[in-house]
Amino acid sequence: MELLQQYFQSSIGKKQIVALTGLMLIGFILGHLAGNLLIFKGPEALNAYAHKLASMRPAMYGVELALAGTFLLHICLTVYLFFYNNEARPIAYGYYQPTDRSISTRLMPYTGTLLAAFVIWHLLDFTFSDQTGTLSLVGKESLGLYGVVVNAFKIQWHSGLYILAMCAIGFHLTHGFQSFMQSLGLNHPKYTPVIKIISVFLGLAVAAIFSSIPLYVMFFARIP
Amino acid sequence: MEQTMKLTLKVWRQKDKNAKGAFESYQADNIDAAMSFLEMLDVVNEKLTKEGIEPIAFDHDCREGICGMCGAVVNGRPHGPRKETTLCQLHMRHFQNNDTITIEPWRAKAFPVIRDLAVDRSAFDRILAKGGYISVKTGCAPDASVMLVSRENSELAMDAAACIGCGACVAGCPNASAMLFVGGKISHLGLLPQGRIEAKKRAVNMVKKMDDEGFGACSNEYECQAVCPKKLSVSNIARMNRDYILGSAD
Repeated sequence: MELLQQYFQSSIGKKQIVALTGLMLIGFILGHLAGNLLIFKGPEALNAYAHKLASMRPAMYGVELALAGTFLLHICLTVYLFFYNNEARPIAYGYYQPTDRSISTRLMPYTGTLLAAFVIWHLLDFTFSDQTGTLSLVGKESLGLYGVVVNAFKIQWHSGLYILAMCAIGFHLTHGFQSFMQSLGLNHPKYTPVIKIISVFLGLAVAAIFSSIPLYVMFFARIP
Repeated sequence: MEQTMKLTLKVWRQKDKNAKGAFESYQADNIDAAMSFLEMLDVVNEKLTKEGIEPIAFDHDCREGICGMCGAVVNGRPHGPRKETTLCQLHMRHFQNNDTITIEPWRAKAFPVIRDLAVDRSAFDRILAKGGYISVKTGCAPDASVMLVSRENSELAMDAAACIGCGACVAGCPNASAMLFVGGKISHLGLLPQGRIEAKKRAVNMVKKMDDEGFGACSNEYECQAVCPKKLSVSNIARMNRDYILGSAD
C-alpha cells in the first residue's frame, strides 16, 4: 500500500497514468471517428446510430461517467505536471535553444488546452443541442442530429474552428502515442522507430478524417 | 579561417547561491582558434584579474572530456553547439570572429548556483547513494564463462556506463528533469546479472530521491539525449520506467 501511494506521488507514476488515460482517450477518439463516418451514408444511418446510443441510456451513463473521469484525470495530471515542471527551473535561461524537439512536442500544452476548450464547445454544440428544433431543419424537414451537424458545418467559421481543433488533435496524438510507449517503458531498437512512424500517421489520419466531414458538408454534400 | 579572433562574451555573474545574478559583457581579444573553450575562459580570467575584476568561476578538472566536471550553457545549449562534445573539448574554431557568445550556468532548482557558472550537483550524489551501487559481494573478477552475460546486454550496460554525470541532461531538459542520468545508472547496473537482483528496489528508491531533490518530470521531449556529450539514449529512461512499474508492484 505504501509503495502504491508512493507510485501515485512520483513523477513517473503520474506520467504513466497520463499515458494510460491518453491511450484510453485515443481508443475513444477512434470509436467516435468510426461513428461519425456514418454521416457519409446519409441522415438515416447517422440518426439511427445516435438513437441506438441513446437507447442504451442507463448503461451509457456508466460509460460516459468513466469517459469524463478519464478526461478529467488526464487533464488534471498534465496541468499539475506542467506547473511542477516549471517549478523545477525557477530561473529561466537568458538564451535557450532547443535542438531535437518536434513541433508536436513543443505544442503539447497548447494543443491540450485547445482540445479541452474544444470538448466543451463540441458537447454544447452537438451532444446537448436540441436535435428536433430549428437547428435540425433542412428545408422544412427536421433531420435530427444529421440536420444539426450539416447546418453547423455550412457555416464557414464553424467548420474552420472545428478543423483547427482537429489539427490540434492531430499534433497531440503525433507526440502522444509514441510518448505513451516510452512512458510505459515499451522501447525497443527495432520497434521504436516504427512506433514513431505509426504515431505520426495516427495523428495525420485522425486530423484528416475528422476534418473531411466539415469539408464534405461545405463543398460536396447535396443536402436533401 | 583567421588564426586569432575577437569575441564578446555575455557571462552570467552571480556572487553566491543567494545573490541575484546578472549578465555581464566582456571582450575577449586575441583568442586562438585552436584553444578550447575553457582555455579561452582562462585567457579572459587572466585579463580580468589584471584589471582587478573577480575572475569568472567555472568548474573543470580533466579537460579531456571524461570527468564530467565542466559544463555551461553556451549559446542556449549545454556544452555548446557541438554534438557529443563536453565544454572542455569544444574548440574556438567552431566560432566566428566577432561572435557574441552567451554563457550561463546549468539552470535547475536542484542545481543551485555556487558562483557564476559553477553549480552544486551534489543532488546526483545523493540519488546515487539511494541505490546507484550493488550491495552483493561480487568478489574479484570471475572467470570469463562463470557468469554468462549476453553480448547485447554488456554493450547496452557499457553505453549507459559512459555517463560522466555532468548534468547536461538536466540543463538541456525543458523540465530540468534528471531522468536520463538516473535511467543511465539504473540501466548500467540493472542490465548485468550482479546488479539485476536489486533492480526494482533500486528504481523505486532512486526515483523517489530524484523527485525529492526537486528535478522535473519527463515529458518525452528527448532534449537530454540530444545534448548528452556521451550519447546516452532515452531507451535508458524507458528501462527505468519499466523497472519502476515492476518495483512499485512488488
